[in-house]
This record gives sequence, structure tokens and C-alpha cells, in this order.
Amino acid sequence: MNFTQQLINGLVLGHSYALIAIGWTVLLGVARLVNFGHGQMYMLGAFVTWFVMSRFGLPYLVAIPIAMAVGIGVGYLMQRTMLQLTIRQDLVSVMIVTLGFGHVLEGVAALFFGSTGQILDTPLSVRDIYIGDIWITWQDIAIIIVAILFFALLKYVVEKTRVGRLVRMVAEDPKLALLAGIDIRKIYLGVFAFEGAAVAIAAALIAPRTPILTSMGFDQVIITFVVVVLGGIGSITGSYVAGIALGLFAAFFGAYVSAAYSTAAMFVFLIVVLVVRPGGLASRPGAH
Amino acid sequence: MSAPAPATPVLEARDLSVVYAGNRALSVENFQLAEGELAGIVGANGAGKSTFANAMMGWSRGAPKVTGDVLLDGQSISALTTPERVRRGLLLIPENDLVFATMTVSENLAHAASARQAGGRRIYTTDEIYDLFPNLAERRNHLGGQLSGGERQMVGIARALRLAPRVLMLDEPSIGLAPLLVTVVLKTVRTLVDEGLTVLLVEQNVKAAIRTVDRLILLERGQILAEGPVDEMKADPRVADAYLGADT
Amino acid sequence: MRMMTPLSWLIGLGLMLIAPALLGGSGAVYSAFVLIAIFAVMSYGLDVIVSDLGEVSLAHPVFFAAGAYASAIGSSRWGFDPISTLLLAIAAAAIIAAGIGIVTLRMREFVFSLVTYAVTVVGMTLAANWAFLGGSDGITGIPVFNIFGYSALTDRELWPVAWLLLVAALYLVRCFRRSRLGQEAMTVHLNPRLATMSGIDPHRVRIQVFLFSAPITAAAGWLYSYQRAYISADVVDMYFLILMLTAVVLIGRRILLAPLIGVALILCQEKFLSFGGYVDRIILGSVLIVILSFMPRGLAGPAFDMLRWIKRRAKNINT
Repeated sequence: MNFTQQLINGLVLGHSYALIAIGWTVLLGVARLVNFGHGQMYMLGAFVTWFVMSRFGLPYLVAIPIAMAVGIGVGYLMQRTMLQLTIRQDLVSVMIVTLGFGHVLEGVAALFFGSTGQILDTPLSVRDIYIGDIWITWQDIAIIIVAILFFALLKYVVEKTRVGRLVRMVAEDPKLALLAGIDIRKIYLGVFAFEGAAVAIAAALIAPRTPILTSMGFDQVIITFVVVVLGGIGSITGSYVAGIALGLFAAFFGAYVSAAYSTAAMFVFLIVVLVVRPGGLASRPGAH
Repeated sequence: MSAPAPATPVLEARDLSVVYAGNRALSVENFQLAEGELAGIVGANGAGKSTFANAMMGWSRGAPKVTGDVLLDGQSISALTTPERVRRGLLLIPENDLVFATMTVSENLAHAASARQAGGRRIYTTDEIYDLFPNLAERRNHLGGQLSGGERQMVGIARALRLAPRVLMLDEPSIGLAPLLVTVVLKTVRTLVDEGLTVLLVEQNVKAAIRTVDRLILLERGQILAEGPVDEMKADPRVADAYLGADT
Repeated sequence: MRMMTPLSWLIGLGLMLIAPALLGGSGAVYSAFVLIAIFAVMSYGLDVIVSDLGEVSLAHPVFFAAGAYASAIGSSRWGFDPISTLLLAIAAAAIIAAGIGIVTLRMREFVFSLVTYAVTVVGMTLAANWAFLGGSDGITGIPVFNIFGYSALTDRELWPVAWLLLVAALYLVRCFRRSRLGQEAMTVHLNPRLATMSGIDPHRVRIQVFLFSAPITAAAGWLYSYQRAYISADVVDMYFLILMLTAVVLIGRRILLAPLIGVALILCQEKFLSFGGYVDRIILGSVLIVILSFMPRGLAGPAFDMLRWIKRRAKNINT
């Protein structure tokens, strides 16, 4: 296989990974929360986009905000249900509850969208570009651009704005945040709604690259987890860099070693990192 | 109910009780804090001082049963959440965890009440804060986690001042501080009272409290044992006991 | 065991053995009982980790699959008898558990759970792709369960075996909770500082509890392979993880019969009150969500409160 082609594939894949992980970066790194239903929310985002476009014939640019709105709704509902667990910082229970939500979402999606695979074609994904023997689609370019813009915007919001400061305050010390007059419930609900919107936009952009199935979704959790951990919990820049690195790794590993085992290989790499730096995950809550 | 007396207490607690799994941690029949007053609650470790301050804020560790009424300017705030009480001007500077360690000093102080929330109460500007605590001005770009104990205490007080306080409660401000710094912090508290603030000092360090406050309240096993002007209370043997018991 | 067990236990377990016959003895009843026993044993492995050690392992589907694959490969390719495949299943699970235990030794709470979840996902990838495990085709040709001349072709014939396995698992968990290791696990769970100061090494306890727990879940996988006579990558399905977790939290922690009752409730719904696979999935997930979010002590919590309340009322009326 052509090296340059793999490099491009890796970059596209890397931006995809980073974009999928953006909600988790905020959840885990900034607000100290986890969501194991992340993959299923990704699946849902892809199917809502597909449904809106294929059944209602609405344009792609309308389908994306609808998918995001559904994501916001699901994220809000999840956090509303487990708010007490979140406030008690009972992360283990939060984890299992979100796992349960993932299971429910998968059932709901299969019931509603059917269990057959679908192809999500967008106006961008069907337009190819050839430069010499290198192939790329407009969809790939859109992924890269949106990922970069989204990360830049997120970094700005978290570091420079009032909302970002409030979120960081709650993440670092919920009690002190309460005593500073911050309604931490609103922040937790907001962060989960953001997670829902972020994963939905990622899905709407990335899912057209592969056929979509209601049972997909859980690879995404692992990839996301690897990106967030390697990036250094909650570091926004770190997640971006880790996403790209992982994308390049997956592209080359898939091309030259084995495509089937690339997720497993990423995970082995992660284990090595965690064993070498066991405190890595818990090291800097609220960092950015 | 009778019409409010001319001097409605700024902060008041009636029959306030906190029960943890059947064990009464606090039982205060009547507590009042008058306008512009600097009162101090003293008592040995475990007497219920922090429990009292937390209960006033509507915050607690674990899930105790809290009953009774808390009033701010004559209005009951018992049904309000902690952030809502803060927005009404009741502020607690907790015992430790005073700063957001991953934020700079200026970020720590950026969080302020809006003019609407303040409803006419004074919001100290950052410049006024830096005048009050010149140390913080020098360290404004340092992370909260790099500050010394005294500086953290200053950030704690400063944050409260940014939130338009009506009443300030300080939980053990002297803990872990060198004697000289204790004096500096408590002097600042006195300055704030002179500027019109009402302050409740919760202190284990009886000696420091006696030097600072106007009125002393002695808490033991969750109950108010004695209270009165500091000059009278100084002579009270029970205060002397607490004094000897916790001379830090 | 018989010596230690009160009469009521003996009677209860005996009743359970003949229960399918009492319930009409149809094939469907026997299959339900066999599956409940298998999945209950599977859940007991996780129960020890969740209830006693206080951590949540999401790697237990891998132990279940390890047991199933070990026995499938052992019996179909190498001609092992059920005793040998059971030992193989236990050994395979113990080796994997030791590996996971060592890697996650210093991880706690959600980091631990995340890594164990990742182990499960890698397990799924391996099961679906690795030719040794039959890849996506799985492993067929698992012989009929046959031991000491007793041959179990149908679920009716397999039920006594499943019952024995369940009794063994109950006995093991009961002994564990009374053992030194069980006490140490609780101490580490409830008060890590006290544990360290009492000379308990939390790392050793964790590894040992893990090594105790994994073979129990693997033994369930062992019997499952005979029951299904065919094993493929779907034994690592998320369904098993959700089933185990729900069974463990549904009734309450540290109640010996809780996982069994939990599994029985869930399987009865799926077998006899099913609304179709997708709706069942929604029900199972929702039960897990609701229990953890709103009834952290499980169904037993309010039930006990009610009992206490009734007792108090009765006492008040008497006096």
C-alpha cells in the first residue's frame, strides 16, 4: 500500500478519533464523570442523521442539528436519572448506570431503526478527490476541519470563558463550588448535554465512512478511552494529539500488520502506558 | 408573630438540630448574629462547630437529618439550597480546600456575584482585594496549588468578598497558620467588620478568638453552653477549660 | 457441608432439585432451570468482586467465555472428559485472572473498571477473529456431557449437574465470606487504611479474591458449552455483562441467595414474559439503571425496612 495514502488515512482517522473523544475529554477530564453509553450515543447520532435524511428527505445540514438535539436530550436524561450518584461522586455506579443506558439505547435503536445495516451517504461523502493516486473524500476533509475548529473552540471556552471556569470549578472541588454559589446540578446536567451534542456531531460526520449498525458503538468507547487516557486525562490539546497519533497508528498497523487486531493493539499499548504510569488517570483532575 | 424588633438579627437559627444515624451532632435552640457584629464560636475539637456552620449553609457531609429554621435578615432560608443561600449573601469560608488548586489566583477571584444577585450589597472589586491583600496581588498569576497556607486563607476570604457577602462565616481560619499570620488574617477580618460586614468566626484557637471577637459563644457536645461579651466570657472557667484543652 | 448446613437449607436445596418436576417437568421448564443455574453461577463470580471487594469488574464475561472456550476446545478437539475440561476451564480463567490482576493491581474504582471493560472488548475481538477459537464460525462438535456413565443429552438430564454446580458455587461463596480472605476483603473494601494498619496487604487480597472469583464464572461457562453444544464469539456478548451486573445489584449486596434470585427473576421474564429481544434488552438495562440510581440497597433494602416496620408495629400493638 501507498505510504502517503496511509498517512492521509491516518490523519483522517486520527481527527475522527479525536472528534469522537471530545465529549469524554470534557466529561472525564474536566468534570470527573464517565459515560459507558458513549458508543451507543454515537450509534444513535448516526442513525438519527440517516433517518432524518432518508425518511424525511431533509438536507444533511438540517439532519446534523437534529441529531445533536437528540443527543442533548439523551445526555440530559441520563444525567437527570443519576444526578444523586454524580453528586455523591459514586463513579463506579455512574459507570454501571451508563452501561445500562447503552444497553437500553441499543435496544431502542434496534426496535426503531431495525437491525439491518444501513449506508449513510451525505452530499460530501459521495464526492471523491484524487490527487495522483491518493484518494480522499470531501467528507474526510470536513471531518478534519470540524475537528480542528471544535477543539480550538472548546479550548477557548474551557480556558477563557465564564462557563468554562464554572465547569472547572465544579470539576476540581464540587463542595467549594457549592460554597461559591454555583449550582453544581446545572453544571453536571450541562456537561452531559454537551457530551450528547458532541458525540452526535461526531457521529453525523464520521459514520458515513462505514456502514452503520445498531450494534456498532462499543469500539468507540474503547478508542475514546485510549485517546483520553493517552492524552493525559482531560487535557484538550492532549486528546487532540493522542487522537491523531492513534489514528496514524491504526492506519499503519491496519495496513501493514492486521486490520482485525488494530483495536486490540491500541488497547495493549494503553495497558503498557497504564502500568508504567498507574496514577495517570487520576493525576490531574480539572486540568486542561 | 410580633412585628420585627428594630434590630432584626442578620443571621438567626431556631431549634437547629443535626442528627447523624440517630446520634445528635448539634442542637442549638437559639442563635443570633446582629448587624455589624463580630462573634466567635469556640469549643473543643468535635464540639460541633463545623457542623453548625455547615448546617447554616445547608450543606453536610453524608446525609444527616437537619431540622429547625435558619433566617437571614428575618427571612427563612431553610428551604434554600447552598448556592441559593450564597446568592442571598450567606458565605462560608471552609476549613480547608480554600482554593481551586488548578486555577491561578486571578482566576480564583474572577468568580463574582452579578450586580443583580448582589441586590445592593457590596461586591469587592479585584483591585480592592489586592489592596486588602498585597500578597495576592504579587501572586496573581500563580496557581492556587502553589500558595502557602496563609495565602490560601486570603484567597478564601477574597472569594467570599467577590460574592457580595451579607454575613461571612470563617471555619477555623487560624488552623495550620503561623501565629504571625493568624494575627494578619484576624486583623483583616476586623477591618472588614469595620467596613460594615457581619462576621461569625468559628475557632478552635480560643486565644486568637478572644483577641478578635466582640462576643463569644461556647459550644460543647453540639450545644451552646454559654455566650456573652468577650470580656465577661474570658473569665468564665468553662472557657478557660476549652482554652487549655485546645491551646494550639 | 451437610453437617454445617441447617436443615432448612437442605430442604430448600432438595426442593430446588425437584422443582422443575413439580412445575410440570416440561422441556422449557428444565431449560429455564438449567440456564438460571448456569447464569447464577456466572454471577456469583462477579458478586464476590462487587459485594465483598467493592470493585466492579467488567472482565467477567471474559472468564465466562474462557471457561466455555476451554471446555469446547478440550472436549471437541482433544477428546477431554467433563472433569478434565472443568479443570482446563478453571486453569484458563485463573491464568487470565492473574494477568488482569497483576496489570490492574494499583488501579482502583473506575480506572479498574475501565481497564477490565477494555479487556472484555479485546476478548470479543479475539473471539471473533482468532482462528484457534474458531473465528466467527465458532466451535462445533462439542460431545454430549458424559461422566461416570451418566449421559446428559437433554436439559432434563443436565439439570442435576447444573444443580450440583450451583450448590457448589453457593457453598464456596458462603465459605469465602466466613474465611479469613473474605474478612480481609471486606476490611479492604470498607476501610483501606485500617486494613493496611492491621497488616493486610490490599494488593495480595485483591489478587486472591480475583483468583477465587474467576474460576467460579468460568465453571458456569464450562457447563454452558455442554448445554449449547456450540460456542462462538457471542458468549462474550455485552448481554452477559449486563445480566451479571443486574443480577448482582437487583436484590442486594452480600446476601447469599441474591444473585440466584436476581438471575431467576430476569430469566423468568425473558423466557415466560418476553416482549421480544429488543424490548427485553430495554427492560434489563432499565432495571439496572433504576436499581442503582434510586435503590442502591437493591430490592431487599425496602423489603427489610418494611419487615422491620411491621415487626415494630406488631410489638407496639402487643404492648
